[in-house]
Amino acid sequence: MHICLIFSGLFLFWSTVFFLFSIYFIVEGLTWFLEFNLLMINSSSIVMTLLFDWMTFLFMSFVLFISSMVIFYSREYMASDIFINRFIMLVVMFVFSMMFLIVSPNLISILLGWDGLGLVSYCLVIYYQNVKSFNAGMLTALSNRIGDVALLMAIAWMVNYGSWNYVFYLFQLKGDSYMNVISYLVVLAALTKSAQIPFSSWLPAAMAAPTPVSSLVHSSTLVTAGVYLLIRFNFCFNEWLMYFLLFISSMTMFMSGLGASFEFDLKKIIALSTLSQLGLMMMILSLGSYELAFFHLLTHALFKALLFMCAGNIIHSVGDFQDIRYMGGLVKFLPLTCVYFNISNLSLCGLPFLSGFYSKDLVAEIMSMGYLSFYIYLIFYVSIGLTVCYSFRLVYYSFVGSFNFLSLNSVYEGSVMMIKGMGGLIFLVIFMGSSLSWIIFPYPYVIILPLFMKILTLLMVILGAWIGYELSKFFISYDSLSLKNYSLSWFLSNMWNMPVISTLGINYYPIIGGSFLYKSLDQGWSEVLGSQGIYSVIVSGSKISQIFMNNSIKIFFVLMIVWLMIIFMI
Amino acid sequence: MSLPTGLVSHTQKVKSLYKQALRCLESWYDRREVYRYHAVLMRNRFDLNKDIKDMRIAKDLIAQGEEELFKKQHWLPRKFPHSPGGVAHGREVIPPDWVLDYWHPLEKAQYPEYFARREQRKREYVKLWEKKFGKSEALPH
Repeated sequence: MHICLIFSGLFLFWSTVFFLFSIYFIVEGLTWFLEFNLLMINSSSIVMTLLFDWMTFLFMSFVLFISSMVIFYSREYMASDIFINRFIMLVVMFVFSMMFLIVSPNLISILLGWDGLGLVSYCLVIYYQNVKSFNAGMLTALSNRIGDVALLMAIAWMVNYGSWNYVFYLFQLKGDSYMNVISYLVVLAALTKSAQIPFSSWLPAAMAAPTPVSSLVHSSTLVTAGVYLLIRFNFCFNEWLMYFLLFISSMTMFMSGLGASFEFDLKKIIALSTLSQLGLMMMILSLGSYELAFFHLLTHALFKALLFMCAGNIIHSVGDFQDIRYMGGLVKFLPLTCVYFNISNLSLCGLPFLSGFYSKDLVAEIMSMGYLSFYIYLIFYVSIGLTVCYSFRLVYYSFVGSFNFLSLNSVYEGSVMMIKGMGGLIFLVIFMGSSLSWIIFPYPYVIILPLFMKILTLLMVILGAWIGYELSKFFISYDSLSLKNYSLSWFLSNMWNMPVISTLGINYYPIIGGSFLYKSLDQGWSEVLGSQGIYSVIVSGSKISQIFMNNSIKIFFVLMIVWLMIIFMI
Repeated sequence: MSLPTGLVSHTQKVKSLYKQALRCLESWYDRREVYRYHAVLMRNRFDLNKDIKDMRIAKDLIAQGEEELFKKQHWLPRKFPHSPGGVAHGREVIPPDWVLDYWHPLEKAQYPEYFARREQRKREYVKLWEKKFGKSEALPH
């Protein structure tokens, strides 16, 4: 139990220190490279390089702060768990991997941090040892493995430059068509880690992990590692890669928004919302505004961590129920959680003047000002509406609608430590958007838009809220619309069949092919021609030679005489 | 995989189908009054056929019902978390105590005090058991 307090305090301290450092680095415009000479063989030196700039410090500060709150929160959430020490150590290992990734300007050390994240997140997903967790863990680990391989291939290709310190080569990479392969591989790695299409299915599946893990790992750190990598690499992407990224991220945003509107699992809804926000970050990144993507990454990390923590408190209070159909009317029983949940939800929706508003609204305005196709514009705004729609649906189902839980007496807000952990984040969820915008952008973006386009975001928010709330509450007849349009609702709720494609879609034909090869080759031709065939040939050959051996001593003598005669004749 | 270990009567099949149909409706209709409305309709559908004596027709009806149930299954059926299929089912696997008896002697030797006390406790427990229930008979080999 003390381990929670120790690490929570430690992380909080370092978070404050790093935050102050980040402000100092922004003000002074500093970037530090620290180099340690690890090994020197003849004239070849192996140098460990660390990169410190304002982005590094700010991201580390946020990761540590959220980790601190999550570990504090875990003290009560995981109190009944007999392996809580192992759990906390895993979380700490995860944080260290993330730190390593953040400060790395080198592909090799990035890979170390990246693989550390993958491994520890796998251990955390299978923390609860049931079949669902094992399946989810396997899907998570194998999806992320594709990204690891892409990074390894990028490392292999970068040997051409004689160094893996990518930061020194970003601008050369852009102009060189051969070396552009590295940027393609990095984008592939980021797509897997940030669960973009077609690797999306692992993120909702990873909700099998304990809720504090989802809060830290699957909302604010692990999945944003992909976005962070792209932020670092974004200078070397060519135009077509940007278009590709724009298309993929817009599709992800749209798909996850639709999926969340049909989902009933509390944690999966929030996971799909994370997916949608990752799509948003990727979108603005593919338009070149990497600072804005980073800004949204930070604000999103705050409100999504809090949202997950609130979800954890609800699940804890209602006895491990995660299905929102069992909830409803919880505002009377969990008032403070409801307040936190609603604030972070509204921040996610981009309601003025919460933290999400500052980043999301800016992203929407930059999108509107860009010269883009109508398709992208439409998908973007519809997705923004969908975000609000599923958020309000969730609020209706869990807090507002009729009480659906099995027992009245067992639901109450008794988790003081959890509430305190959540309380640490709430002020940042409210105020950090504006503060960060002042810190990161010393002078504001110039936005020139017609009135309608300017207020379009707000209109979509209001429209989405209305549709989300009314569609959950209101019904025309007693027949279910989802049941009437069965195939469509099945398709949308299953993330456009993404989980099926990622699991059965990949292994179905190899397994069929494998069983065919096993039957026809392993147990068929190679058995007939190989082991059994060779065996029967040898057996029949030795049988023939056995005929000569049987009682033929005269033949041997004759043969010896013939042999001697031949020798003497020669 | 569970193997059928007994005969399932027609009545049991009907009851099982009815219960599954209600559970399916529960997944689709999350509001109590709407669910009740559909549950009554479902009950009526079963009641209409309750007097059928011809088993061929009855069996056919069950087959139809099961097919309809399959076609209308929810993508995320409502499950109790700790029941099979639920999110929290079998979450924590706590190794049973007898696992310690199967440790290798070298492993046991690392915790000599604990295992000595454990053996002593086991002997005491056997003594207590025999005092209470009598000595167990030796099993025939």
